[in-house]
Amino acid sequence: MQLAFAQQLLGLIENSIGILPLLLLLPLVGALLAYLLGDAGARPVTILITLIELGLGLILAMAFDPNNLPASTEGMVYTGSFELTTINLGSATTTFEIAWGVDGISVAMVVLANLVVFIAALSSNHIHESKRLYYALFLLLQTGLLGVFVSTDLLSFFIFWELVLIPMFFIIGKWGEEGCQHAAVKFFIYTHLGSAAMLIAFFVLFFVSGTYSFSMIVLRGTTLAPMVQIGFALAVFLGAGVKLPVFPLHNWLPWAHVKAPTPGSVILAGILLKMGGYGFIRLGLWLVPEAFARLAIPFALLAVFTCIYMAFVAMAQTDLKSMVAYTSVNHMAWVLLAVAVGSVGYVNPALGFSAELAIQGAIFMMFSHGMISSVMFIAAGQLKYSAGTRQIPEVKGLMEKAPKFSAILILSSLAAFGFPGMSGFIAEVLVLFGSVTAYIWAGLIGLGLFVTVGYLLWMLNRVVFSDPDPEAEVAEAPWVDLIAPIIMMIPVLLLGIWPDLILSLIHPAVVFLLGG
Amino acid sequence: MQLEILTDFIRTLLAPLRDLILLVPGIEDWAASVPALTLVVFSFIVLLWGDRRGVLGISIIGVFTAAFNMVLFESGTYGSSFGGLFIRDAFADFFIWIILIVGVLILMSATLYGGERSSYNFLLLMSFAGAIWVVMATDLVALFLAWELMSTPTYVLVALGPHRGSVDGATKYFVMGLLSTMLMIFGIALVIGVTGTTLLSGANSIAMAIEAIWTSGTAGPAAYSLLLAMIMFVIAFGFKVGIFPGWMWVPDAYSTADGSVTGYLAGATKKTGISALMRILMVAFFVARMEWMFIIVIVSILTMIIGNVLALAERNIMRMLAYSSIVMMGFVFVGIAAGTQFGAAAGMFHAFTHALMKTGAFILIWAMSVRLAKEITYDDLAGLGKRAPMAAAMFAVLIFALAGGPLTVGFWSKWIFLPQSAVEANLWWFALVALFNSVFSLGYYLRVLRYMYMMEPTTNTKIELARIPMIAVGLCVIAIIGLFVFPGIVLDYAFEGAASLIP
Repeated sequence: MQLAFAQQLLGLIENSIGILPLLLLLPLVGALLAYLLGDAGARPVTILITLIELGLGLILAMAFDPNNLPASTEGMVYTGSFELTTINLGSATTTFEIAWGVDGISVAMVVLANLVVFIAALSSNHIHESKRLYYALFLLLQTGLLGVFVSTDLLSFFIFWELVLIPMFFIIGKWGEEGCQHAAVKFFIYTHLGSAAMLIAFFVLFFVSGTYSFSMIVLRGTTLAPMVQIGFALAVFLGAGVKLPVFPLHNWLPWAHVKAPTPGSVILAGILLKMGGYGFIRLGLWLVPEAFARLAIPFALLAVFTCIYMAFVAMAQTDLKSMVAYTSVNHMAWVLLAVAVGSVGYVNPALGFSAELAIQGAIFMMFSHGMISSVMFIAAGQLKYSAGTRQIPEVKGLMEKAPKFSAILILSSLAAFGFPGMSGFIAEVLVLFGSVTAYIWAGLIGLGLFVTVGYLLWMLNRVVFSDPDPEAEVAEAPWVDLIAPIIMMIPVLLLGIWPDLILSLIHPAVVFLLGG
Repeated sequence: MQLEILTDFIRTLLAPLRDLILLVPGIEDWAASVPALTLVVFSFIVLLWGDRRGVLGISIIGVFTAAFNMVLFESGTYGSSFGGLFIRDAFADFFIWIILIVGVLILMSATLYGGERSSYNFLLLMSFAGAIWVVMATDLVALFLAWELMSTPTYVLVALGPHRGSVDGATKYFVMGLLSTMLMIFGIALVIGVTGTTLLSGANSIAMAIEAIWTSGTAGPAAYSLLLAMIMFVIAFGFKVGIFPGWMWVPDAYSTADGSVTGYLAGATKKTGISALMRILMVAFFVARMEWMFIIVIVSILTMIIGNVLALAERNIMRMLAYSSIVMMGFVFVGIAAGTQFGAAAGMFHAFTHALMKTGAFILIWAMSVRLAKEITYDDLAGLGKRAPMAAAMFAVLIFALAGGPLTVGFWSKWIFLPQSAVEANLWWFALVALFNSVFSLGYYLRVLRYMYMMEPTTNTKIELARIPMIAVGLCVIAIIGLFVFPGIVLDYAFEGAASLIP
């Protein structure tokens, strides 16, 4: 969807600093500004900056021509780079640089990141301690998140990937609830460990490819030995699989998500997990599709298992936030399944169409889950303020005592299990249709969906539609707390009835990706 | 060479001064040693000045004069001294700059303790001069002399520390030092016995002799004696560096000495050990690199693991930092084990960045220790973010740099260049072990951050830290962040130095 005014505006920006550097630098400047303005000015500045960022992201999405996929840059547009240093290795000169560029997939992720960060900034109204530090870290986090999605260079990808950890560590550990410090350390160490394996794979690729280059664009154009590709794919699985997370690597997630403050959880579930999914697509499917195709069956099996297992684990939770956290793992498994199926479509053209469906589904799933889980986490945080506890068995009769809040909780739960008419439904349908044509047993993931529907409705039944407990105090959520989730529900509903908004953006990029 | 404009400017500006110095008869023969000789001269001036005001100022002027002499007598023209026993090439220059930078920083921190005494200044300047000669030495006997000139003052300096335990720490350091000296002499004796020379490179040198033995293809007693000598050198110099067999003195000496001396030991003398080992392994024993690569890999892995495990168990911050610098030296050996030009450059770059991080960290903790009049443990760091926001922020940057986090130069040196150089040498599993150790080290680095920012302080009184040492720490922090964006400023020189070792 290209609009003339957006293109003119973008052209204006592109002629001066460039849209992507502006997106990356603005939060950095904002972070400094927020810290210098002190506790009183930090929040308005942050909301302003994140709003401008969201606007810029939307302008980018509106002006972006999805069908313009230059082969010379492997489909990346608005490319550019900032050189950090160069070294001479033998006869080759290697440049270490921050390089950026976007295709349709990246643009969708940038919009999602800016949207979630803006909502998280709005929902930070319960943060009162050391506000200036909080908001400065918050904006630093935004730079890191956007950087991951726009990097076209393995090294700059890694720098941003790691940069995200630092502010997130402080946000979880300093502003979280009881036990958050342990959660923060666990989060940092888990993700760092995955990153270490991934970094070594980057270096191996750097030397083995013979290109002496970290540029993804160059590396994608190089043919690699199958063993190197498979090693790289396994390392990406470790690095991105921790973030996503997949079954054996998921242990940090319930801790970090539950102990983090509400905006922290929103960003964790809304974008950090998508970094994992994006890593699978960009570094796996986009860079080494053949290797992923060979590993497709184990990955798909793992995805199906993760989804069903996590659905049952979520069912066993009594803490609403914890339940939402496991629901996130459960949903991200769909992304892994879609990536596995998509890679099969790359080597087997007969499955090309189902691969297209699945990958579009993966990206749509990331987008829609980013929005829905944000609402769910805000609702879970709100339950603590309204009812004094998040324990599902202890809260009763929310519908009678707090109807507005209940409406949000009901809508977001319906969206989470994929109620038709909401964005989650489109995502699940796309992935399911794509996967079943490739592997008929992949349909088993529907069992996970079945359980998800069950426990979410059961939760609603216990919390919302039960008879109120006359002794328990339950207060209605004030409007100021409800603004953020209400704003976030708009795109959820909009995309449920008009999925082409995203699909038209990503479809050409997906076709390009599969076309080689 | 991004700093060339600056050095050229100084050189042109002070050219008359250089011509004046060159009027001294016979100075061409030891022109390369002028920076070190400047420090010797200033050490005597300081000794004669006595315990009067301004003695520390004279020392600082001395170090700056030495730095100016470094620029004036560029290594290209005035590279040789004492008949070629001590030379200045790009490699030596890199390490001399590390020593001089650390020297200025720790003299700034000496305003806290000891700096008002002339003996203290004398010992420090003498040790600086010795350290400079160590990195310049191209002959084993000359190396030994310089090594002792550097080490002996530090034994006394550690013993001069304020704690009651400092004599114990110094004794341990001294005894271990003697042991290493003994091993070094033994190694030199073996080398002379086999090769009949003590020169490291050039005609009729150890390098030539080893090449002849290795190309002959027979593993006779000569080859085994040389390998034994090489192991002796690794242990003897590794003692000062604080790697695997000789690391035990490090935490005791570091935590009992006064913090400025600790900063010097960690920031500069460690690096001279590395430079000596690099010269021996990568110049003299270069042909035998397939033999020493294996040894260095084992030493490096053991160093990292031991340092990490012991650091994790430590509650005293000084001791924790001491163990963490043991781990960091294990990292430098990742680059040395690669045995390539890139590996050498990566190791040198990490030596430089580690000097900045560790000196800064030791000075900061020492300033706190003096202010609170106690040894700093984790409990004293609780809520530092509120009690001393500036100091806490600077310490957080230093800790992230040590952990190799992005936005600090530690990211480049520890997480990018060193593992990358190991991967280049087909040691990808070794790089992976190193990075896993780096992740392991987060166990104690993150604990520092947790205490500083996430714990409530026991008292809310502000901590005012002494200004001059904090300026020194601030300079380190600025350099650490600045070098993240422009690592080339230093990296280019590291590559130039590595190229002069391994062409």
